[in-house]
Amino acid sequence: MPKLKRDLTMEQQLARGPLDMPFLMLVVLLTVIGVIMVFSASYATALNEGRKATYYFARQAAFAVAGLGAMYVISKINYQHFRWMSVFVLGISVVLLILVFPFGYGKAEVGAQRWIRMPGIGSLQPSEVAKVGVILYFAARLCKRNTEKKKRFGDAPKERALAFLDRIGFLELVPYILVLGVVVLLVLLEPHMSGTILIIAGAAAVLFAAGIHWGWFVGGGGFIMAALWFIITKTPYMTKRINLWKDPWAYPKDGGYQIIQSLYAIGSGGLFGVGFGQGRQKLGFLPEPENDFVFSVVCEELGLIGAGLILALFAMLVLRGYWIALHARDRFGSLLVVGIITLLAVQVFLNISVVTNFMPTTGISLPFFSYGGTALMIQLGEMGIVLSVSRQVPAPKQG
Amino acid sequence: MAREDREQDRRDRLHATTDRRANRTILWRTIILMALFGLLTFLPLFHKLYVIQIREHDSYQQRAIDQQTMDNAVSANRGQILDSNGKVLAMSATVYDVIISPKDFENLQANWDKSYKDSEGRVLTEKKGYYPRPEAEEIANELAAILGLEPEKVLQRLEKDSYYEIAASRVEDEVADQVRALITDRHLSNSVYLIPTAKRYYPYGSLASQLIGWVNWRNDNKGAYGMEALYEKELAGETGRVVTAKDGKNRELRYSFQDYYDASDGNDLTLTVDTTIQYYCERILEKGIEMFDVQNGGFVIAMDPKTGAIKAWANSPTYNLNDPWDITDPILSQYLETVQNDPTALEEAYNTALKDMRNRQWRNKAINDTYEPGSTFKSMVLAAALEEGVVNENSTFYCPGFYVVADRTISCSKKAPGHGSQNLALAVANSCNPAFMMIGQALGAEKFYNYLEDFGFLEATGVDMQGESHINPVSAGLIWRRDKFTSANGITNLATASFGQGLQVTPIQLITAASAVINGGHLMEPYVMQSITTPDGTVVKQNEPTEVRQVVSEETSRRCRAILEGVVDGGTGKRAYVPGYRIGGKTGSSETLESRRGEDRTIVSFLGFAPADDPQIVVLLAFDKPLPATPGNNLTAKGYYISGGNMAAMMAGELLGDILDYMGVEKVYSEEERAKIDVTVPNVVGQTAQVGTDAARNSGFTVRTVGEGETVTAQIPAGGAVIPSGSEIVLYLGQEKPTDLVVVPDLRGKTATQAQETLARVGLYLKISGSSSYMSSNAIVAGQDLTIGMEVEQGTVVTCSFSDNTMID
Repeated sequence: MPKLKRDLTMEQQLARGPLDMPFLMLVVLLTVIGVIMVFSASYATALNEGRKATYYFARQAAFAVAGLGAMYVISKINYQHFRWMSVFVLGISVVLLILVFPFGYGKAEVGAQRWIRMPGIGSLQPSEVAKVGVILYFAARLCKRNTEKKKRFGDAPKERALAFLDRIGFLELVPYILVLGVVVLLVLLEPHMSGTILIIAGAAAVLFAAGIHWGWFVGGGGFIMAALWFIITKTPYMTKRINLWKDPWAYPKDGGYQIIQSLYAIGSGGLFGVGFGQGRQKLGFLPEPENDFVFSVVCEELGLIGAGLILALFAMLVLRGYWIALHARDRFGSLLVVGIITLLAVQVFLNISVVTNFMPTTGISLPFFSYGGTALMIQLGEMGIVLSVSRQVPAPKQG
Repeated sequence: MAREDREQDRRDRLHATTDRRANRTILWRTIILMALFGLLTFLPLFHKLYVIQIREHDSYQQRAIDQQTMDNAVSANRGQILDSNGKVLAMSATVYDVIISPKDFENLQANWDKSYKDSEGRVLTEKKGYYPRPEAEEIANELAAILGLEPEKVLQRLEKDSYYEIAASRVEDEVADQVRALITDRHLSNSVYLIPTAKRYYPYGSLASQLIGWVNWRNDNKGAYGMEALYEKELAGETGRVVTAKDGKNRELRYSFQDYYDASDGNDLTLTVDTTIQYYCERILEKGIEMFDVQNGGFVIAMDPKTGAIKAWANSPTYNLNDPWDITDPILSQYLETVQNDPTALEEAYNTALKDMRNRQWRNKAINDTYEPGSTFKSMVLAAALEEGVVNENSTFYCPGFYVVADRTISCSKKAPGHGSQNLALAVANSCNPAFMMIGQALGAEKFYNYLEDFGFLEATGVDMQGESHINPVSAGLIWRRDKFTSANGITNLATASFGQGLQVTPIQLITAASAVINGGHLMEPYVMQSITTPDGTVVKQNEPTEVRQVVSEETSRRCRAILEGVVDGGTGKRAYVPGYRIGGKTGSSETLESRRGEDRTIVSFLGFAPADDPQIVVLLAFDKPLPATPGNNLTAKGYYISGGNMAAMMAGELLGDILDYMGVEKVYSEEERAKIDVTVPNVVGQTAQVGTDAARNSGFTVRTVGEGETVTAQIPAGGAVIPSGSEIVLYLGQEKPTDLVVVPDLRGKTATQAQETLARVGLYLKISGSSSYMSSNAIVAGQDLTIGMEVEQGTVVTCSFSDNTMID
């Protein structure tokens, strides 16, 4: 028997606040458009594989419905509970990341061990879970950084060194570096470059928002840049990727093919597009059009107007997400939303950058659009977390 | 307690301050992230999309369409080439390339396995629609049998890792039908298929090959040589296209859009060439080459002198248009064989030789090559001199066998004492060089050169044929420069030019100029294309005779015809004589650069036209390098004297006789001729003596009867034999004809009269070979068709060929 409102604690009452309707609407809209575009992009592939034209569409739609349900359930959870849950989510992600080596698959398909088969729902990418785990854990810990006891150090040289490290804020970072290090290492071992980038991006966003000295970001960013520069110029693999990015037509067979086909698709869309379902590039030209390159199909079929509108919806979702972060009831809520929204924004940015050849190719899916049931569910779950936070946004003062 | 409270209070306040500070930090930093990820990162993406979708839209769209569509060519039917009577010289038909797709074959087998095998690998023969599995080896065997290939080779192709293997090229309809049946029977669907392609057929094979030319199927069926190349655009038509949408695996999307661009078929080309005349020309060319041991081949051009329409154009060596790479000419293939059998010759040498031989057989020498025309050129000199009035029919020329020009003594073909005193007609009939040097000098270098120009020797004739050089002959070093020719030093040039030596012309130039001499003075532009018509028969283009200029007057032309007729009527060209026809002409034996070096290379030629009073056909035929029996000898191994009069004129006579018969020109015999023409002996056995005798007499024979019976019981020679009219026919009345055999006597070296008498003594008959029945008192038997000493029945006809070694031109 449900409790009456007056029987609820203050906390519980807050958790029953109204959802942020604009954010919810944007998520639902993008999910619906995404599933529809999956239909258009995938039917040719499905037919080609001897399946029903609606095979991929039906699966994606089922996951979308389940995901939206899950999102609603999660949004009902008082997000304060995520504080203690965060440790478990992180723990589970690490376990999954380890389990992927003996039990996962993907070596044969893409040359990387990235998926674990989940009976009944298909497959799961542990790195997807790890993204959420890291953000949850970091947010939960960093929201309390001002209440942590100041350590006192003696006069011994060792103590003085520690004192220096503490003063510059290094000691505080050590646990985060350790956690992030373990997760990133495991993901890199798969190997999964794009997953790594996204996990680092999410974690960095939370750290940044929490107030970690900007110098660390400058230093960290500089270090990553240097490492990238080294990799790009010194390793043939990356050098080729860069050359490929500069001129995909120089490598029409090995590597350049995807991006060339993507550009053909986007370019032939023009202002108004060739019409929904009318795209031709998905008919065996664009590899896996329902997946990483689904946005190319969108561009071809809906034109600059359609693609721009979808991009605008994403921008609005991101802005509304940050708005929720700004208005969250507490720092934990803010950090949590910042992490999740930044992750989403980076993923959108990277995916569209890749399909338009704005940046070198790396496999990143487009949230809400790319085919993949569990990924969509996890994404919607993350949105559920944001919505949960939004419930506790204090109502504007009245009168 | 109070102290504790204070402490707690202080801590709370501190907490509150740090809380506020922490909140403010998060606020600002979130705003920074918001600006960065909510706005800034989206801007370049919008821009990039704008660039790709709007600014570069056209280029990407074009490239996308290029890969998304299949552009299938629809080949246009190539037009036919027809002769002037509408006989087909070249036509196109469809043939097929047989293509194997090994990858599809593999899929086919995999699909079969899926359909007709259960999980344990048992074959489900009972299943509906079952058919035996298409095994690679069986299919290869069956296909090889149809295509006439080795099964192993086909199997090799069938097992390759590819989608496209050509099993056989250009197979005919019947073979294609068998392949189709195989595809259906063995359910091969798209793993074996046929691609239609055009093949060009030349129904007459080698006829007029250099003129017609051929299309090269190795080069997109484009015209490679001859009229096929020259009129390529007209004949080829316009290839159409079918544009179909396709997917990334190259499969047609049938229900997607399709665009058609109709192919327009090529036009038909009607030539002025007459297949029959062409055939006569080639036959005579071949005959002469064989008869005179000709080494470098030859050519025959036949033209309508009034219009310039080319009636025939024959070259030797020649080749089969249906297989232009094959060497069929006996001399060329013999040379090739020598190279092939030469153990020291390398593979490369053979290939070079093969290439050379191909180029030689493809070469259209009657237009590509130049030669010194020799005495045939005198026709033009004669016309010029008559036109300018420097000589007339009453002029006389004395030939002592040589003529001195400047410090050079140039001898006549008839050495001392020479031709003696001759009038103009006789000088031409004798082809007397000293006389013509005198005529040339009378004309003068300046005027002579004018006529060179007027007769078109310094320009291209403009014939619509491949290979005529448009380089000025002076700059090509073929003819002297005017200033050089007319200078004081040019006098020997003028002298040799007067009898056609020292200058190089193309055969087509020569026959065009000669036509002007005899057709009333009109230099015509020769042409081969009669008309171009669309496939439905509409005439698109028609060639009308084009006069380039009037060179000499009608009157001069008439006088020339009369004098040139004299060449055949008793002159050096008398071997071209055909009873009943009035033939005019000029013989020629050209010196060559080689012959001046002392090598044996003479080009013997004859320029002939008929009827002499109203020319309807003009021919120029030449044999390049008849082989002397021994180096330097004037006779060939078969005893023919090497000269235009003996060789080319004899062939020309036969040729003109055939052509005039074909053209339906009526024969008009003189009394003298009537006695010498060959007549078929009527069969009178079974008739009464009177009827038989009358029949034989009416046919122009004399009759001798043996026996006293009422009816003819036998006759010699038998009915149907062809012998000269005036010969004696023996009719046996009530008596059998004698069955004892007679011996064929040796007739060599005898004149015609002597030979006839010799034969008559033993009861045999003489027939003079060829249609040239002119029996000059100088002609002696060079060969006979029946071996000396052979025993034959009485009344047998012995055919003799004659050689008149006094005919030197």
